[in-house]
Amino acid sequence: MMLSTTLLRLSVPAKPANRARLRRFMEGITLWLAFLLLLFVQPLYAEANVADELQPGLLHFTDNRGDWQEPALVLDSDFDVTVSGLIADTRLTRHFRNTSDHWREGVFVFPLPEKASVYALTMTVGERTITGEVRPKAQAREEYAEARDSGRQAATVEQQRPNLFTSRVANIPPGEDISIELRYQQPVDYRDGQFSLRLPTTLTPRYMPGPMLPTGEAAGWSEGWAIATREVPDADAISPFTVRPEDVAADSHRASISVSLSAGLELADVTSPGHELETRTDGQEVHVSPSEGTVLMNRDFVLRWRPVHGSEPVAAVFHEQFDGEDYLMTMVVPGAASDLTLPRDLVFVIDTSGSMAGESIRQARQALGRGLDTLSAEDRFNVIQFNSQPHALFMAPVPADGMNLARAHRYVSRLQAEGGTEMASALSLALGGAGSDDTDDAARVRQVVFITDGAVGNEAGLFRQIREQLGNQRLFTVGIGSAPNMHFMREAARWGRGTYTAVSNTADLGGPLVALFSAMEAPVLTGLRTQWPVADAEAFPERPGDLLRGEPLIQVVRGVPPEGTLSVTGMAPDGKRWKRTLDLRQSAGGTGLHRRWARAKIDSLLDRARIQGEQPDEEQIVRLAMAHSLMSPFTSFLAVDSKPVRSGNDPLLADSVPTLLPAGTSAGMLRYPQTATISPLLIALGLVGMMFSAAIVLLRGRVGL
Amino acid sequence: MNRILLLLLSSSATLLVFGLWIPLKAVVAQELLALAWAESQARQTETRPWPWADTWPVARMALPELDRSMIVLEGTHGESLAFGPGRLVGGLPGEGPVIIAGHRDTHFRQLDELAPGSGIRLQGQDGQWQDYQVEASRVVDSRREQIDTQRLSPDTLLLVTCYPFESLDTGGPLRYVVTARRRNPAPSNRLEQIDTVAGL
Repeated sequence: MMLSTTLLRLSVPAKPANRARLRRFMEGITLWLAFLLLLFVQPLYAEANVADELQPGLLHFTDNRGDWQEPALVLDSDFDVTVSGLIADTRLTRHFRNTSDHWREGVFVFPLPEKASVYALTMTVGERTITGEVRPKAQAREEYAEARDSGRQAATVEQQRPNLFTSRVANIPPGEDISIELRYQQPVDYRDGQFSLRLPTTLTPRYMPGPMLPTGEAAGWSEGWAIATREVPDADAISPFTVRPEDVAADSHRASISVSLSAGLELADVTSPGHELETRTDGQEVHVSPSEGTVLMNRDFVLRWRPVHGSEPVAAVFHEQFDGEDYLMTMVVPGAASDLTLPRDLVFVIDTSGSMAGESIRQARQALGRGLDTLSAEDRFNVIQFNSQPHALFMAPVPADGMNLARAHRYVSRLQAEGGTEMASALSLALGGAGSDDTDDAARVRQVVFITDGAVGNEAGLFRQIREQLGNQRLFTVGIGSAPNMHFMREAARWGRGTYTAVSNTADLGGPLVALFSAMEAPVLTGLRTQWPVADAEAFPERPGDLLRGEPLIQVVRGVPPEGTLSVTGMAPDGKRWKRTLDLRQSAGGTGLHRRWARAKIDSLLDRARIQGEQPDEEQIVRLAMAHSLMSPFTSFLAVDSKPVRSGNDPLLADSVPTLLPAGTSAGMLRYPQTATISPLLIALGLVGMMFSAAIVLLRGRVGL
Repeated sequence: MNRILLLLLSSSATLLVFGLWIPLKAVVAQELLALAWAESQARQTETRPWPWADTWPVARMALPELDRSMIVLEGTHGESLAFGPGRLVGGLPGEGPVIIAGHRDTHFRQLDELAPGSGIRLQGQDGQWQDYQVEASRVVDSRREQIDTQRLSPDTLLLVTCYPFESLDTGGPLRYVVTARRRNPAPSNRLEQIDTVAGL
């Protein structure tokens, strides 16, 4: 009502004048105008109160009987990363501290980088250190359960997804702690002259499509909250409780991170989009850590570094001997090709599911907006949003003229995030349009940009779908949010013959997206082939395929000594042959090449099984993983102490350590909606006012004023 | 003095009109929605009740005990709740848990009159009516509890509204939740109950 009073005060003269009729008339008009104005703006505030509830939500763990269970384990993590060349080696130590009076078993589901090769596990209890070993998965589970039940301390880590792992630690004594040290290596990303490294600290709760399976069928290892569905039978194993930072102990879920970069190159800058950094240069090495000390594990730590201008590497060879075998890794960066561009059909697919709510959907909207801005007049485009079902803005791709673009911008700015993540139907809608035999279509490059957090549990089914429906199109993925599912981004883009990129926060939108969209506009180097000096060398990836601008070709090979030359050939977009040779004798020493090779080999075995629709060759994968001491879908790490510490009389309580909700997202579970209107309040106020005025009128009548 | 009185009177009247406008809109919108619902049943598509609406009818809900029937809309943002109860999550009635939220001042004003055993009927787009029976109702604190959709059994229906019913506070944390469970699945030979309007 502020508005009406101000308006009236403005229109009423300061000095009350005589009872001039005109003035009264004017006043009446003004009043009615104000009233009408209010009616007009009424929808602005007469609507229900839709403001998000900002009170922190509390989540407690309940056991089977529904009793409250206080979280008893405090967790902190320690990332110690050494980067040399193109491989980052991480020593990840997790301390589980038991703050309760009972013996505890800790269960923690955690993410690792999507191409991580886990190769060692050590458990430290007090002074003693027990080294873990690789076992076939089932055997590791069995031995772990046996050790747990007999009161011995044990730890195991198993792989649920290529980037999602579960660690279990048995028999943590009351008031004490157990440390688990994991060692893994991951490839360093190199694109457009910039290296980058991502350390995931948490995961976005994933959507599990498909009808639910009866709960009774779940295995005895269900600690998460999602119930297995037909499409995601292990849903309960990959969805830990997700809580807000306020809900865990104040010193829990903190990570200390230190990275030492020995890139072998002079570095121009080292940056992180999400964290403030403190860097120290020590000769050839640069030591980096977040300047705030320990960081809360609710957003991925991303580090980027760039060599000084002009010294960006365009090729590299590394060599390592392991177990009597030679391993080589090579990187070749094709230079910028010609500036030929073809008209495109660009389909933007944006995820508007519930997991995108909050900061993520804002990022996604902006990312899409930037994508729209890159369109030129001869391009055609469409926008598809999906949550529980997909919805396309246009029936078919339309020319990117001003009117259509304006309509798309308006549509995008109004997108809200809620509902499920039924990605399969959205993919069908986006990829399905390729079938038309319009003659105009042949000359066009069809590209699909998929903007999502990848929070789904049925990745394998989606990759199969992409492969089947892709045709001559290309799929590019843009990862959104504080903790996108990078495994999904990378693999979906790989099956879709495109590239992936990740955006960490709104301020970071520019760099990665500009690189992606400019790479998309540029033509592609196709049909790449490598020729190693040894004929039967096993190189991965087997067929490098196509390269976009700024993308390097990286191949790792076994059984090739560092002699002779490697030749890389391909086809430039103008039809010319492209060729590059590399002298292998120039190779530098590297570490961990054999693990990278073995991981690539395992991935290729899994891929082949997926394409042929059969079960992967488990025996071969286990053999390979054991030989290289690697974690795989079929092998787990296990460390068991020899002597029992807990007597059979003391109970052992299991505690699932929650993961933190990624920064900027809304709660994983549904919140109760706001369901009251201000109508009763308005009616009450109105009535009170009316009564008050009536009282005054009556009083005036009495007094005879 | 007269002027102040006039001002007070008119502003109170305005408040009153706005206050009454909300329930009035809720009633009028339901009539429009009934048309859109009939059309979406006839065409088996999502039909927006008016071109700029960002929601569409997804079900019809009947409360036989209270002699009320209303159209349920998609989504629970304020825009849709102003016109009808909103579906928070769930597939069509009959395949998975259904959660419907409504305003305590308009559509769900009488929710507290649903006693255990009362019937609730839901009609999906296919015209099939599903019978639900109220099991319990309780008050929850939305700051402490969230809806765990993964744990709800597929035959559950939750009706959610704000609590207490007569409160003037719009941002209160309490919610009144009615839990209902589906009676044995509806036999499939009840097609005669489709009340579509042809030619719309």
